[in-house]
Amino acid sequence: MSNYFYVSPEQLIKDRAEFAQKGIARGRSIVAAIYDVGVLMVAENPSASLNKISEIYDRIAFAGVGKYNEFDRLREAGIRWADGTGFTYSREDVDARALANYYAQHIGDMFTEGQKPLEVEVLVAQLGTAIRPTKLFRIAYEGTISDEPRFAVLGGDAEAIKSRFGAAESDLEPLDVTLRNAVAALANADRTIEVPDLEVCVLEDTGGRRTFARLTDERVAALLGT
Amino acid sequence: MGLPLFSASDDPGPSFVRYAELSGLVDEPSMTDADARHATTVIAVRYNGGVVMVGDRQATSSYIASRDVRKIEAADRFTALAISGSAARGLEFIRMAQLSFEHYEKMTDTSLSLEGKANYLSPIIQRNNLSTPLMVIPLLAGWDPSRQDGRIFEYDGAGGCYERRDFATIGSGTPFADSALRLGFRADLDREAALELGALAIYEAGDNDPSTGGPDFVRNLYPMIVTLDENGFTELPADEVAQRFIAINQRRTESQGVAGGSLR
Repeated sequence: MSNYFYVSPEQLIKDRAEFAQKGIARGRSIVAAIYDVGVLMVAENPSASLNKISEIYDRIAFAGVGKYNEFDRLREAGIRWADGTGFTYSREDVDARALANYYAQHIGDMFTEGQKPLEVEVLVAQLGTAIRPTKLFRIAYEGTISDEPRFAVLGGDAEAIKSRFGAAESDLEPLDVTLRNAVAALANADRTIEVPDLEVCVLEDTGGRRTFARLTDERVAALLGT
Repeated sequence: MGLPLFSASDDPGPSFVRYAELSGLVDEPSMTDADARHATTVIAVRYNGGVVMVGDRQATSSYIASRDVRKIEAADRFTALAISGSAARGLEFIRMAQLSFEHYEKMTDTSLSLEGKANYLSPIIQRNNLSTPLMVIPLLAGWDPSRQDGRIFEYDGAGGCYERRDFATIGSGTPFADSALRLGFRADLDREAALELGALAIYEAGDNDPSTGGPDFVRNLYPMIVTLDENGFTELPADEVAQRFIAINQRRTESQGVAGGSLR
Protein backbone atom coordinates (compact mmCIF):
# COMPACT_ATOMS: atom_id res chain seq x y z
CA MET A 1 0.00 0.00 0.00
CA SER A 2 1.30 3.40 -0.94
CA ASN A 3 1.33 6.33 1.42
CA TYR A 4 -0.62 9.55 0.71
CA PHE A 5 0.53 12.85 2.17
CA TYR A 6 -2.23 15.09 3.43
CA VAL A 7 -2.84 18.16 1.28
CA SER A 8 -5.50 20.60 2.47
CA PRO A 9 -8.29 21.39 -0.02
CA GLU A 10 -7.28 25.06 0.08
CA GLN A 11 -3.73 24.21 -0.92
CA LEU A 12 -4.90 21.82 -3.63
CA ILE A 13 -7.20 24.39 -5.23
CA LYS A 14 -4.51 27.07 -4.97
CA ASP A 15 -1.93 24.85 -6.68
CA ARG A 16 -4.31 23.88 -9.43
CA ALA A 17 -5.38 27.49 -10.01
CA GLU A 18 -1.76 28.61 -10.22
CA PHE A 19 -1.00 25.84 -12.69
CA ALA A 20 -3.94 26.80 -14.95
CA GLN A 21 -3.20 30.53 -14.70
CA LYS A 22 0.40 29.98 -15.71
CA GLY A 23 -0.64 27.98 -18.77
CA ILE A 24 -3.19 30.57 -19.85
CA ALA A 25 -0.79 33.51 -19.27
CA ARG A 26 1.64 32.05 -21.82
CA GLY A 27 -0.74 32.82 -24.73
CA ARG A 28 -2.14 36.03 -26.18
CA SER A 29 -5.48 37.51 -25.15
CA ILE A 30 -8.87 37.96 -26.80
CA VAL A 31 -11.32 40.86 -26.60
CA ALA A 32 -15.00 40.30 -27.38
CA ALA A 33 -17.34 43.27 -27.45
CA ILE A 34 -20.90 44.01 -28.40
CA TYR A 35 -21.15 46.82 -30.99
CA ASP A 36 -24.22 48.66 -32.26
CA VAL A 37 -25.42 45.88 -34.61
CA GLY A 38 -23.39 42.80 -33.70
CA VAL A 39 -20.69 41.10 -31.69
CA LEU A 40 -16.98 41.57 -32.40
CA MET A 41 -14.22 39.14 -31.39
CA VAL A 42 -10.55 40.07 -31.77
CA ALA A 43 -7.62 37.76 -31.02
CA GLU A 44 -3.95 38.38 -31.34
CA ASN A 45 -2.98 35.31 -33.34
CA PRO A 46 0.05 35.11 -35.64
CA SER A 47 -1.22 31.83 -37.13
CA ALA A 48 -3.60 32.15 -40.05
CA SER A 49 -4.85 28.57 -39.77
CA LEU A 50 -4.86 27.62 -36.07
CA ASN A 51 -7.90 29.66 -35.17
CA LYS A 52 -8.95 30.84 -31.74
CA ILE A 53 -12.36 32.07 -32.84
CA SER A 54 -14.91 29.88 -34.57
CA GLU A 55 -18.51 29.57 -35.70
CA ILE A 56 -20.65 27.28 -33.53
CA TYR A 57 -24.12 27.88 -34.93
CA ASP A 58 -26.27 30.38 -36.81
CA ARG A 59 -25.96 33.06 -34.12
CA ILE A 60 -23.35 31.58 -31.76
CA ALA A 61 -19.56 31.92 -31.83
CA PHE A 62 -16.75 30.45 -29.75
CA ALA A 63 -13.41 31.89 -28.68
CA GLY A 64 -10.73 30.20 -26.64
CA VAL A 65 -7.36 31.06 -25.12
CA GLY A 66 -4.73 28.83 -23.55
CA LYS A 67 -3.71 25.40 -24.80
CA TYR A 68 -4.83 25.01 -28.40
CA ASN A 69 -5.56 21.27 -28.29
CA GLU A 70 -7.70 21.69 -25.17
CA PHE A 71 -9.90 24.54 -26.34
CA ASP A 72 -10.15 23.12 -29.86
CA ARG A 73 -11.71 19.96 -28.44
CA LEU A 74 -14.21 22.11 -26.59
CA ARG A 75 -14.93 24.01 -29.81
CA GLU A 76 -15.61 20.74 -31.69
CA ALA A 77 -17.82 19.48 -28.88
CA GLY A 78 -19.74 22.77 -29.04
CA ILE A 79 -20.37 22.45 -32.79
CA ARG A 80 -21.52 18.85 -32.33
CA TRP A 81 -23.78 19.80 -29.45
CA ALA A 82 -25.32 22.70 -31.41
CA ASP A 83 -25.83 20.75 -34.67
CA GLY A 84 -27.19 17.77 -32.72
CA THR A 85 -29.62 19.90 -30.72
CA GLY A 86 -30.81 21.76 -33.82
CA PHE A 87 -31.26 18.45 -35.65
CA THR A 88 -33.26 16.89 -32.79
CA TYR A 89 -35.45 19.92 -32.05
CA SER A 90 -35.32 23.08 -34.15
CA ARG A 91 -32.66 25.61 -35.12
CA GLU A 92 -34.20 28.25 -32.86
CA ASP A 93 -33.88 25.98 -29.82
CA VAL A 94 -30.09 26.14 -29.87
CA ASP A 95 -29.25 28.50 -27.01
CA ALA A 96 -25.81 29.81 -26.04
CA ARG A 97 -26.64 29.75 -22.32
CA ALA A 98 -27.14 25.98 -22.36
CA LEU A 99 -23.84 25.48 -24.17
CA ALA A 100 -22.01 27.84 -21.80
CA ASN A 101 -23.36 25.82 -18.86
CA TYR A 102 -22.09 22.56 -20.34
CA TYR A 103 -18.68 24.12 -20.87
CA ALA A 104 -18.68 25.44 -17.29
CA GLN A 105 -19.59 22.02 -15.90
CA HIS A 106 -16.95 20.22 -17.91
CA ILE A 107 -14.18 22.74 -17.22
CA GLY A 108 -15.18 22.79 -13.52
CA ASP A 109 -15.11 18.98 -13.33
CA MET A 110 -11.69 18.89 -14.94
CA PHE A 111 -10.44 21.52 -12.47
CA THR A 112 -11.42 19.53 -9.38
CA GLU A 113 -11.33 15.94 -10.61
CA GLY A 114 -9.16 15.84 -13.70
CA GLN A 115 -5.56 14.67 -13.79
CA LYS A 116 -4.75 18.30 -14.36
CA PRO A 117 -6.99 21.34 -14.83
CA LEU A 118 -7.64 22.53 -18.37
CA GLU A 119 -5.40 25.47 -19.20
CA VAL A 120 -8.12 27.32 -21.08
CA GLU A 121 -10.62 30.12 -20.87
CA VAL A 122 -13.49 30.13 -23.34
CA LEU A 123 -16.12 32.55 -24.49
CA VAL A 124 -19.55 31.79 -25.93
CA ALA A 125 -21.08 34.75 -27.78
CA GLN A 126 -24.65 34.94 -28.97
CA LEU A 127 -26.19 37.48 -31.33
CA GLY A 128 -29.68 38.30 -30.06
CA THR A 129 -33.05 37.72 -31.72
CA ALA A 130 -36.58 38.80 -30.91
CA ILE A 131 -36.73 36.12 -28.21
CA ARG A 132 -33.09 35.99 -27.06
CA PRO A 133 -30.72 38.73 -25.92
CA THR A 134 -27.21 39.32 -27.24
CA LYS A 135 -24.91 37.64 -24.72
CA LEU A 136 -21.25 37.12 -23.86
CA PHE A 137 -20.55 34.20 -21.53
CA ARG A 138 -17.01 33.86 -20.25
CA ILE A 139 -15.97 30.56 -18.66
CA ALA A 140 -12.78 30.60 -16.61
CA TYR A 141 -10.32 27.71 -16.06
CA GLU A 142 -12.02 26.63 -12.80
CA GLY A 143 -15.50 26.56 -14.35
CA THR A 144 -16.73 29.93 -13.16
CA ILE A 145 -19.23 31.25 -15.67
CA SER A 146 -19.81 34.98 -15.96
CA ASP A 147 -22.35 36.83 -18.02
CA GLU A 148 -20.48 39.90 -19.28
CA PRO A 149 -22.77 42.84 -19.98
CA ARG A 150 -20.89 44.63 -22.82
CA PHE A 151 -17.45 43.17 -23.34
CA ALA A 152 -15.25 40.34 -22.14
CA VAL A 153 -11.50 39.79 -22.09
CA LEU A 154 -9.88 36.37 -22.00
CA GLY A 155 -6.27 35.49 -21.36
CA GLY A 156 -3.39 36.19 -19.03
CA ASP A 157 -3.33 39.96 -19.32
CA ALA A 158 -7.12 40.25 -18.93
CA GLU A 159 -7.33 42.79 -16.10
CA ALA A 160 -5.06 45.38 -17.75
CA ILE A 161 -6.75 44.99 -21.16
CA LYS A 162 -10.15 45.16 -19.50
CA SER A 163 -9.43 48.49 -17.83
CA ARG A 164 -7.95 49.94 -21.06
CA PHE A 165 -10.94 48.87 -23.16
CA GLY A 166 -13.46 49.88 -20.46
CA ALA A 167 -11.93 53.37 -20.29
CA ALA A 168 -12.11 53.79 -24.07
CA GLU A 169 -15.69 52.74 -24.58
CA SER A 170 -18.75 53.73 -22.60
CA ASP A 171 -21.56 53.09 -25.07
CA LEU A 172 -22.27 50.78 -28.01
CA GLU A 173 -20.19 52.07 -30.92
CA PRO A 174 -20.07 51.17 -34.62
CA LEU A 175 -17.84 48.24 -35.72
CA ASP A 176 -14.82 50.33 -36.80
CA VAL A 177 -14.65 52.27 -33.52
CA THR A 178 -15.08 49.13 -31.43
CA LEU A 179 -12.39 47.33 -33.44
CA ARG A 180 -9.94 50.22 -33.03
CA ASN A 181 -10.58 50.31 -29.27
CA ALA A 182 -10.21 46.55 -28.98
CA VAL A 183 -6.92 46.45 -30.89
CA ALA A 184 -5.58 49.41 -28.90
CA ALA A 185 -6.55 47.69 -25.64
CA LEU A 186 -4.84 44.45 -26.73
CA ALA A 187 -1.67 46.23 -27.82
CA ASN A 188 -1.22 48.85 -25.08
CA ALA A 189 0.57 52.12 -25.89
CA ASP A 190 4.08 50.74 -26.23
CA ARG A 191 3.56 48.41 -29.20
CA THR A 192 1.39 47.93 -32.28
CA ILE A 193 -0.13 44.69 -33.55
CA GLU A 194 0.19 44.19 -37.30
CA VAL A 195 -2.99 43.37 -39.23
CA PRO A 196 -1.83 39.84 -40.29
CA ASP A 197 -1.37 39.03 -36.59
CA LEU A 198 -5.03 39.78 -35.84
CA GLU A 199 -7.84 37.29 -36.03
CA VAL A 200 -11.10 39.24 -36.29
CA CYS A 201 -14.58 37.72 -36.45
CA VAL A 202 -18.08 39.11 -36.08
CA LEU A 203 -21.63 37.95 -35.55
CA GLU A 204 -23.83 40.29 -37.57
CA ASP A 205 -27.12 39.99 -39.44
CA THR A 206 -26.58 40.20 -43.21
CA GLY A 207 -29.88 38.74 -44.34
CA GLY A 208 -28.91 35.06 -44.21
CA ARG A 209 -29.39 32.39 -41.58
CA ARG A 210 -25.72 32.27 -40.59
CA THR A 211 -24.35 35.42 -39.01
CA PHE A 212 -20.71 34.48 -38.36
CA ALA A 213 -18.05 36.07 -40.54
CA ARG A 214 -14.27 35.93 -40.47
CA LEU A 215 -12.95 39.33 -41.61
CA THR A 216 -10.16 39.37 -44.19
CA ASP A 217 -6.93 41.28 -43.57
CA GLU A 218 -8.01 43.87 -46.18
CA ARG A 219 -11.31 44.43 -44.40
CA VAL A 220 -9.59 44.70 -41.00
CA ALA A 221 -7.05 47.17 -42.39
CA ALA A 222 -9.87 49.25 -43.91
CA LEU A 223 -11.81 49.27 -40.62
CA LEU A 224 -8.70 50.24 -38.67
CA GLY A 225 -7.93 52.95 -41.20
CA THR A 226 -4.31 51.85 -41.62
CA MET B 1 -27.71 15.81 -24.19
CA GLY B 2 -24.45 16.63 -22.45
CA LEU B 3 -21.28 18.02 -23.99
CA PRO B 4 -20.29 15.50 -26.71
CA LEU B 5 -16.58 14.96 -26.01
CA PHE B 6 -14.70 12.06 -27.56
CA SER B 7 -11.24 10.66 -27.00
CA ALA B 8 -8.87 11.02 -29.94
CA SER B 9 -9.22 7.34 -30.89
CA ASP B 10 -13.02 7.27 -31.25
CA ASP B 11 -13.59 10.84 -32.39
CA PRO B 12 -16.13 10.91 -35.25
CA GLY B 13 -14.25 13.73 -37.00
CA PRO B 14 -16.10 16.30 -39.11
CA SER B 15 -18.79 13.86 -40.33
CA PHE B 16 -22.18 14.67 -38.82
CA VAL B 17 -23.62 11.29 -39.81
CA ARG B 18 -20.85 9.44 -37.94
CA TYR B 19 -21.44 11.62 -34.89
CA ALA B 20 -25.23 11.20 -35.08
CA GLU B 21 -24.85 7.41 -35.18
CA LEU B 22 -22.31 7.29 -32.35
CA SER B 23 -24.46 9.44 -30.11
CA GLY B 24 -27.78 7.75 -30.98
CA LEU B 25 -29.35 10.83 -32.58
CA VAL B 26 -30.45 8.70 -35.54
CA ASP B 27 -31.68 5.11 -35.55
CA GLU B 28 -31.05 2.51 -38.18
CA PRO B 29 -33.74 2.95 -40.86
CA SER B 30 -36.57 0.45 -40.44
CA MET B 31 -39.64 -0.66 -42.44
CA THR B 32 -42.10 2.15 -43.00
CA ASP B 33 -45.86 2.41 -43.42
CA ALA B 34 -46.85 1.42 -46.96
CA ASP B 35 -49.10 4.48 -47.21
CA ALA B 36 -46.10 6.81 -47.15
CA ARG B 37 -46.05 9.64 -49.65
CA HIS B 38 -43.94 9.54 -52.77
CA ALA B 39 -42.26 12.44 -54.43
CA THR B 40 -41.43 12.51 -58.17
CA THR B 41 -39.74 14.01 -61.30
CA VAL B 42 -36.70 16.29 -61.11
CA ILE B 43 -34.23 17.05 -63.92
CA ALA B 44 -30.85 18.75 -64.13
CA VAL B 45 -29.32 20.14 -67.34
CA ARG B 46 -25.78 21.47 -67.80
CA TYR B 47 -25.23 24.61 -69.82
CA ASN B 48 -22.33 26.94 -70.54
CA GLY B 49 -21.74 28.44 -67.10
CA GLY B 50 -23.91 26.35 -64.81
CA VAL B 51 -26.70 23.88 -64.22
CA VAL B 52 -30.49 24.29 -64.41
CA MET B 53 -32.69 22.13 -62.18
CA VAL B 54 -36.45 21.80 -62.52
CA GLY B 55 -38.67 19.77 -60.22
CA ASP B 56 -42.39 19.10 -59.97
CA ARG B 57 -44.26 19.84 -56.76
CA GLN B 58 -46.60 16.88 -56.29
CA ALA B 59 -46.50 14.24 -53.54
CA THR B 60 -48.56 11.16 -54.29
CA SER B 61 -49.71 8.30 -52.07
CA SER B 62 -52.81 6.54 -53.45
CA TYR B 63 -54.16 10.02 -54.08
CA ILE B 64 -52.51 13.44 -54.50
CA ALA B 65 -51.22 14.14 -51.00
CA SER B 66 -49.66 17.52 -51.60
CA ARG B 67 -49.31 19.92 -54.51
CA ASP B 68 -46.58 22.20 -53.24
CA VAL B 69 -43.71 20.02 -52.02
CA ARG B 70 -40.22 21.45 -52.53
CA LYS B 71 -38.09 18.61 -53.91
CA ILE B 72 -35.06 20.77 -54.70
CA GLU B 73 -33.27 22.46 -51.84
CA ALA B 74 -30.00 24.32 -51.53
CA ALA B 75 -27.63 21.95 -49.75
CA ASP B 76 -25.30 24.91 -49.33
CA ARG B 77 -24.49 28.08 -51.28
CA PHE B 78 -23.16 26.31 -54.42
CA THR B 79 -24.98 22.98 -54.27
CA ALA B 80 -28.55 21.83 -54.83
CA LEU B 81 -29.98 18.50 -53.77
CA ALA B 82 -33.17 17.00 -55.20
CA ILE B 83 -34.97 13.83 -54.13
CA SER B 84 -37.30 11.22 -55.57
CA GLY B 85 -38.91 8.25 -53.86
CA SER B 86 -40.22 8.30 -50.31
CA ALA B 87 -41.01 11.91 -49.36
CA ALA B 88 -40.46 11.33 -45.64
CA ARG B 89 -37.05 9.72 -46.17
CA GLY B 90 -36.14 12.18 -48.87
CA LEU B 91 -36.81 15.29 -46.84
CA GLU B 92 -34.86 13.74 -43.95
CA PHE B 93 -32.08 12.98 -46.42
CA ILE B 94 -31.91 16.60 -47.55
CA ARG B 95 -31.85 17.81 -43.95
CA MET B 96 -29.04 15.42 -43.09
CA ALA B 97 -27.01 16.45 -46.15
CA GLN B 98 -27.46 20.20 -45.51
CA LEU B 99 -26.43 19.76 -41.91
CA SER B 100 -23.48 17.52 -42.80
CA PHE B 101 -21.97 19.99 -45.27
CA GLU B 102 -22.33 22.86 -42.82
CA HIS B 103 -21.02 20.73 -39.95
CA TYR B 104 -17.92 19.83 -41.95
CA GLU B 105 -17.36 23.47 -42.82
CA LYS B 106 -17.57 24.59 -39.20
CA MET B 107 -15.44 21.76 -37.85
CA THR B 108 -12.62 22.18 -40.35
CA ASP B 109 -12.99 25.83 -41.43
CA THR B 110 -13.00 24.71 -45.09
CA SER B 111 -15.83 23.71 -47.44
CA LEU B 112 -16.10 20.20 -48.80
CA SER B 113 -15.30 20.03 -52.51
CA LEU B 114 -18.27 19.31 -54.80
CA GLU B 115 -16.89 15.84 -55.47
CA GLY B 116 -16.45 15.34 -51.73
CA LYS B 117 -20.11 16.17 -51.19
CA ALA B 118 -21.15 13.79 -53.97
CA ASN B 119 -19.13 10.92 -52.50
CA TYR B 120 -20.32 11.64 -48.97
CA LEU B 121 -23.92 10.84 -50.00
CA SER B 122 -23.15 7.37 -51.42
CA PRO B 123 -22.99 5.37 -48.15
CA ILE B 124 -26.05 7.19 -46.78
CA ILE B 125 -28.09 6.13 -49.84
CA GLN B 126 -26.74 2.60 -49.66
CA ARG B 127 -27.54 2.18 -45.98
CA ASN B 128 -30.99 3.74 -46.34
CA ASN B 129 -32.02 1.76 -49.42
CA LEU B 130 -30.76 -1.64 -48.31
CA SER B 131 -32.85 -1.60 -45.14
CA THR B 132 -36.13 -0.18 -46.35
CA PRO B 133 -38.50 -0.88 -49.25
CA LEU B 134 -38.98 2.86 -49.78
CA MET B 135 -36.09 4.01 -51.89
CA VAL B 136 -34.74 7.50 -51.96
CA ILE B 137 -32.73 8.50 -54.99
CA PRO B 138 -31.17 11.96 -54.84
CA LEU B 139 -29.73 14.14 -57.57
CA LEU B 140 -26.87 16.47 -56.74
CA ALA B 141 -25.89 19.44 -58.87
CA GLY B 142 -23.65 22.35 -58.15
CA TRP B 143 -21.17 24.94 -59.23
CA ASP B 144 -17.62 23.70 -58.72
CA PRO B 145 -15.57 26.79 -57.78
CA SER B 146 -12.27 24.97 -58.28
CA ARG B 147 -13.14 23.92 -61.85
CA GLN B 148 -15.32 26.95 -62.65
CA ASP B 149 -17.94 24.63 -64.07
CA GLY B 150 -21.42 23.28 -63.35
CA ARG B 151 -21.50 19.57 -62.48
CA ILE B 152 -24.24 16.95 -62.06
CA PHE B 153 -24.01 13.73 -60.03
CA GLU B 154 -26.65 11.01 -60.23
CA TYR B 155 -26.98 7.88 -58.07
CA ASP B 156 -28.36 4.38 -58.32
CA GLY B 157 -30.24 2.59 -55.54
CA ALA B 158 -27.08 0.91 -54.26
CA GLY B 159 -25.41 4.28 -53.67
CA GLY B 160 -23.31 4.31 -56.84
CA CYS B 161 -22.38 7.87 -57.80
CA TYR B 162 -22.01 8.83 -61.46
CA GLU B 163 -21.10 12.19 -62.90
CA ARG B 164 -23.16 13.28 -65.91
CA ARG B 165 -21.75 15.71 -68.44
CA ASP B 166 -25.10 16.39 -70.13
CA PHE B 167 -28.29 15.99 -68.08
CA ALA B 168 -29.89 13.70 -65.50
CA THR B 169 -33.41 12.84 -64.38
CA ILE B 170 -34.87 11.14 -61.29
CA GLY B 171 -38.36 9.94 -60.41
CA SER B 172 -41.29 8.21 -62.06
CA GLY B 173 -41.56 10.74 -64.89
CA THR B 174 -38.03 9.89 -66.03
CA PRO B 175 -38.94 8.20 -69.37
CA PHE B 176 -40.83 11.28 -70.57
CA ALA B 177 -38.51 13.94 -69.18
CA ASP B 178 -35.48 12.01 -70.38
CA SER B 179 -36.87 11.71 -73.92
CA ALA B 180 -37.46 15.45 -74.16
CA LEU B 181 -33.93 16.13 -72.87
CA ARG B 182 -32.36 13.59 -75.24
CA LEU B 183 -33.96 15.31 -78.23
CA GLY B 184 -33.32 18.87 -77.10
CA PHE B 185 -29.88 18.74 -75.45
CA ARG B 186 -26.84 20.25 -77.16
CA ALA B 187 -23.36 20.63 -75.70
CA ASP B 188 -23.36 24.41 -76.12
CA LEU B 189 -26.66 25.33 -74.47
CA ASP B 190 -26.83 28.77 -72.93
CA ARG B 191 -28.75 29.55 -69.74
CA GLU B 192 -31.93 30.63 -71.50
CA ALA B 193 -32.03 27.53 -73.76
CA ALA B 194 -31.36 25.26 -70.76
CA LEU B 195 -34.20 26.87 -68.78
CA GLU B 196 -36.54 26.39 -71.73
CA LEU B 197 -35.51 22.76 -72.28
CA GLY B 198 -35.73 21.92 -68.56
CA ALA B 199 -39.21 23.41 -68.24
CA LEU B 200 -40.36 21.51 -71.34
CA ALA B 201 -39.00 18.21 -69.95
CA ILE B 202 -40.99 18.61 -66.73
CA TYR B 203 -44.06 19.66 -68.73
CA GLU B 204 -43.79 16.39 -70.70
CA ALA B 205 -43.38 14.35 -67.52
CA GLY B 206 -46.40 16.05 -65.92
CA ASP B 207 -48.42 15.44 -69.08
CA ASN B 208 -47.75 11.69 -69.18
CA ASP B 209 -46.91 10.50 -65.68
CA PRO B 210 -49.79 10.45 -63.16
CA SER B 211 -47.40 10.86 -60.20
CA THR B 212 -45.76 13.99 -61.59
CA GLY B 213 -47.52 17.30 -61.14
CA GLY B 214 -47.44 19.57 -64.16
CA PRO B 215 -48.18 23.30 -64.04
CA ASP B 216 -51.36 23.91 -62.01
CA PHE B 217 -53.03 26.94 -63.61
CA VAL B 218 -56.02 26.74 -61.26
CA ARG B 219 -54.01 27.05 -58.04
CA ASN B 220 -51.21 29.05 -59.65
CA LEU B 221 -48.65 26.42 -58.60
CA TYR B 222 -45.77 25.68 -60.95
CA PRO B 223 -42.74 23.38 -60.90
CA MET B 224 -39.75 24.97 -59.23
CA ILE B 225 -36.74 26.08 -61.27
CA VAL B 226 -33.29 26.82 -59.87
CA THR B 227 -29.94 27.69 -61.42
CA LEU B 228 -26.45 27.00 -60.07
CA ASP B 229 -23.71 29.19 -61.44
CA GLU B 230 -20.80 31.26 -60.18
CA ASN B 231 -23.25 33.22 -58.01
CA GLY B 232 -24.42 30.02 -56.35
CA PHE B 233 -27.95 28.69 -55.87
CA THR B 234 -30.72 30.91 -57.28
CA GLU B 235 -34.40 30.06 -57.36
CA LEU B 236 -36.28 31.69 -60.22
CA PRO B 237 -39.06 34.04 -59.09
CA ALA B 238 -42.57 32.55 -59.16
CA ASP B 239 -43.92 34.84 -61.90
CA GLU B 240 -41.00 34.14 -64.25
CA VAL B 241 -41.60 30.40 -63.78
CA ALA B 242 -45.33 30.91 -64.38
CA GLN B 243 -44.66 32.82 -67.63
CA ARG B 244 -42.51 29.97 -68.98
CA PHE B 245 -45.15 27.33 -68.32
CA ILE B 246 -47.98 29.52 -69.61
CA ALA B 247 -45.99 29.97 -72.86
CA ILE B 248 -45.37 26.22 -73.25
CA ASN B 249 -49.03 25.52 -72.55
CA GLN B 250 -50.09 28.15 -75.09
CA ARG B 251 -47.96 26.55 -77.82
CA ARG B 252 -49.28 23.11 -76.91
CA THR B 253 -52.87 24.39 -77.09
CA GLU B 254 -52.21 25.87 -80.55
CA SER B 255 -50.80 22.56 -81.80
CA GLN B 256 -53.87 20.82 -80.34
CA GLY B 257 -51.84 18.80 -77.86
CA VAL B 258 -49.31 17.49 -80.36
CA ALA B 259 -45.71 17.69 -79.12
CA GLY B 260 -44.00 16.46 -82.29
CA GLY B 261 -42.60 18.34 -85.25
CA SER B 262 -40.18 20.96 -84.11
CA LEU B 263 -39.54 20.33 -80.42
CA ARG B 264 -41.73 22.53 -78.28
